[in-house]
This record gives sequence, C-alpha cells and structure tokens, in this order.
Amino acid sequence: MLRLENLTCGYGQMRAVHGLDLEVPAGGVTALVGANGAGKTSTIMAVAGHVAIRSGRVLVDGQDLTRRPATARVGAGVAIVPEGRRLFPDLTVEENLIVGGYALPAARTPPNRERAFALFPRLAERRRQRAGSLSGGEQQMLAIGRALMTEPRFLMIDELSLGLMPKMVDLCYEALASLKTTGLTVLLVEQNTARVLAVADRICVLESGRAVWRGTAAEARADPRLIESYLGEREAPALP
Amino acid sequence: MLYLNLFLQGLAQGSIYALIAVGLTLVYGLLRILHVAHAGLFALGAYISVTVTNATGSFPLAVLAAVAITGLAGMAIYRLLYEPILDRPPFVALIASIGLFIAMEEAFRLAFGPYGLSYAVPPNMETITFGGLFLSRAQILLMVVAALLLGGLGLLTERTRTGVAWRATVTDPPMAQSFGIDIVRVRYLSFFIGSALAAVAGVMISLINNLVEPTMGSVPSYKALAIIVLGGLGSVKGTLVAALALGVIEAFGTIYLGNLLDRDAIAFAFLILVLMLRPHGLFGAR
Ligand SMILES: Nc1ncnc2c1ncn2[C@@H]1O[C@H](COP(=O)(O)OP(=O)(O)OP(=O)(O)O)[C@@H](O)[C@H]1O
Ligand SMILES: [Mg+2]
Repeated sequence: MLRLENLTCGYGQMRAVHGLDLEVPAGGVTALVGANGAGKTSTIMAVAGHVAIRSGRVLVDGQDLTRRPATARVGAGVAIVPEGRRLFPDLTVEENLIVGGYALPAARTPPNRERAFALFPRLAERRRQRAGSLSGGEQQMLAIGRALMTEPRFLMIDELSLGLMPKMVDLCYEALASLKTTGLTVLLVEQNTARVLAVADRICVLESGRAVWRGTAAEARADPRLIESYLGEREAPALP
Repeated sequence: MLYLNLFLQGLAQGSIYALIAVGLTLVYGLLRILHVAHAGLFALGAYISVTVTNATGSFPLAVLAAVAITGLAGMAIYRLLYEPILDRPPFVALIASIGLFIAMEEAFRLAFGPYGLSYAVPPNMETITFGGLFLSRAQILLMVVAALLLGGLGLLTERTRTGVAWRATVTDPPMAQSFGIDIVRVRYLSFFIGSALAAVAGVMISLINNLVEPTMGSVPSYKALAIIVLGGLGSVKGTLVAALALGVIEAFGTIYLGNLLDRDAIAFAFLILVLMLRPHGLFGAR
C-alpha cells in the first residue's frame, strides 16, 4: 500500500528523517513508534505532502506521489488524522465533515456523514456545535470522522490516544478495531505501548530519523529487550 | 425623524465602507496581508464606470465592465505582486501594496487628468422625500445593492460547500489542502470577489458625487483598514458590522461633534476608543 524508499525529509536545512525505508502492506495496522523527536510526525507529514522531501520516494499503490502537491494525495486514497488533530475550530462538526468530503462529489457527503455518525454517535449529538468547543476525545473522533469522509484506502493517524481520558481512548481504539475489519490500511503513531502491541500487526521503531527495528507485533512482544529500550518507558505492555 | 434619517444616512455611508472592507478582510484572512492597494481598485471601478458610460452611453454596460475588469485586476495583483513575495515577512507585502496604491493614483492622474471626471449626462439622483425622510436615489440604490451583494456573500460563505471550504482554508491552509481544496483557486476567487465589490462601491460613489478623482481612494484606504481591525481582522461578519457601525457613528458624530472634529477624525477617535476597550476588535476572540 505505502512504500517509502530511502526517504529523507526535514525543515529548511534540518533533516528530521534520514533515508527511511518503510513498507506498509495493504490491510491491517502498522505502528510507527519511537521517542519524542524521532521523526514520526515528520514521516507522516512528508507522506501527506506537508514536509519537504529532500530525496527518496513516496509510493502509494505503486503510484509515485513524491512530487505531487498535498491536494493530490487525497485522490490517491490517502487520509490523515494529524498530530494535534487540527480541526477547523470555527466550523461546526457537520461543516468539518463537509470539508472532509470536499474532494468527492457532494452526493457522497450525506451517506459518508451518516457512517461517521454511526461510528461515533457522540458526533451526531453535537453536529451543530463548533469543533473548537468539543472535548479532546470528541475532537479526536471528529478528526477520524473527517478523514473517513475522504473514503480513504490508507489512513495515517498521528497520536491517537495522546491527552485523552481513558474512556475516550477506549472509544477511539474500538473505532480503530472496527475500521480494521473493513480492510482499511492504517499507519498508526502511538506512544502507548500496550495499545500498540494490542492493535498493531507490524511495528517499525524509529530513532533519530532512522528505522532501528521492524517486525510483527508478535515478534515485538517476544523481544523483552526491544520493549524495554524502545517501547517500555511509558507503560508496561499488557500481554495477552 | 432626524435620528432615523441620520441613521439611514449612516447606513448608506457604512454600506460603501462594507463593500470596500470585505475585500480587505478576505485577503487578510487568507494571506495575512494588509492589501492597501485595494482602495486603488475602488477608484479604478469608479473610473471605468464613468469613462465607459461616457463613451458608450450605456450605464449597465459600464457597471459590467467595472466589475469584471476590476475583479480581474485584483486577481492580477495577487498573481504578479503578492504571490512572488508570500514567503517574505508581512511588511514586505505591505510596502509593495502601498507602492502599488501610490502608483495607481499617479496612473489615474496621467490617464484621466488631475481634476477628475463626471458623467456627461448627470445621473438622475435627486433626493427623495417621504414622511419626513430624505435620501438620494443613489443612496437608496446603494443600500439595496449592498444588502443584496453582501447578503449573497454571507449565504455563499455560510451555506455552500465552497463557502465552508473557504472558511476552512482561512483557518488552516495545509489541512484544507489535505482534503483536496485548491488553496490557490480560493485565493483567486477571493481576490475577484473582493475587488468586484470594491468596484461596485466605486460605481456607487461615482453616482452619489458625480465625480471621480485620482485620490478618491485615499480616505477609504485607511478607513477600511481601521474597519477590518475593528471587525477583528479576517472576520467577514465582524467587518460588516464594524463598517455599518462606523458609518452610523460618523453620521451622528458630524452633527454633534462636527464643530470639534471632522468626519474622519471622529472615525479614528472611535477606532482608538474601541481598541482601548477591546484590543482584538469588536468581535475578536484571539
Ligand atoms: N516545524 C519544524 N521546524 C523545525 N524542526 C522541526 C519541526 N517539526 C519538527 N522538527 C524537528 O524534527 C525532528 C523530528 O520531529 P517529529 O515531530 O517528526 O518527531 P516525532 O517523532 O513526531 O516526535 P513527538 O513524539 O514529540 O511527536 C525533531 O528534532 C524536531 O525538533
Ligand atoms: Mg509527533
């Protein structure tokens, strides 16, 4: 689904990611983990077209998006739930969803909106409320709903649980699990190790803009040293 | 009755301000540029209206030409002046804009002479009196046109997909792009609409005064800047209210403070007062 070939990207002179190779196969959840500043957000934003790519290639379904503008990514089936959510705060819940569906014919908006409301009934109750006045968890739901309005085949989520109350984290992960069953491909950035090990099929560990470990979630669970050195700082993994 | 009449006169003047200031707000919202040259487009619209009417004898044709040419001129200003310097600090664009505004005034002087132009056949704009109220035909026309155009713009931004996309682009351009919104097209559209509305204001002023002059944009240029600050910079709704409020306050002020302060001084005293009490404008939150 997504293939990064020797990707180097950054801000001005600064390089945040150095020659990253990453393969995200179709279907399932691939987690991108690593310490603060490892380059997870930069990688996602480079795929979204918002961070300058210095060298290497970004391929989605074999289509080379490296030099395409950010507006072209949605047409390739790529959607994003960005770090900090970045909703349109002065727009209502419904209007945020309209923007989400902007790239598709207007007639697609109502059914897709109903699907987002079915996934997150709380959003339906607050459809006329300003997005900026929602709670953190509701905002995350809306960010996911907005991304789903694009009818994505590949969804990138940056920090799904960060700053949310446990109840909201549960709701978001339930939604992710249900999206997974629809065959959607997900690239997930998540700091909560227990959640990563529970939901991810594959894991890639970044350190200082380089991939230092790749494998399946089962392999990660079986590697106590890996968990200790890269994943374990925050929370003990809940082993099944 | 005097109060009501003053109020209506103020609304008429406020409508002119609103038609001009909305374009400034659209540009500021999208690009964070203080588009001073916008007032030059207001004068351009007025000049086109008078010259085309005098040349062809058709006022409707002149209005069409003024709106279309001024709208396109606004797009050209974006493309040729602002787009190349978008990644520079905002004062660069401000200086460029002031420079263009001065150049436009000089261009009007060179092309049409320093003394101004009038319609060859003066438009029938006599004052109408009813029930103790007196307003000129031009003022009534102005208020109707402004209400229709600005109301239409309000509906466009609040009720349509394009309007929602426009508001999304104002708050977060990169995210808007991620959902397929072509932000360059949004900018062209905003420059066209804003400039066309300024042209309408120019046409209306040309009817009311039956005179267009090279420097007719000077006072509106700084007053419109004051209005968008009052309106909370970038808020269309705030700008409309601030424009109308300023028109009304000037109308009352010239009666009650007229021998103390002139019209423009009253406007700026009001601006300073509001900014002292509400530093982010009448409606500004941030
Ligand atoms: N806008 C920016 N301008 C300059 N440098 C930046 C910018 N954003 C991030 N960086 C730098 O790029 C590097 C990678 O940052 P990035 O945000 O990709 O890390 P991250 O893995 O997402 O971290 P976190 O877990 O804190 O979100 C860091 O050194 C960071 O300081
Ligand atoms: Mg990050």
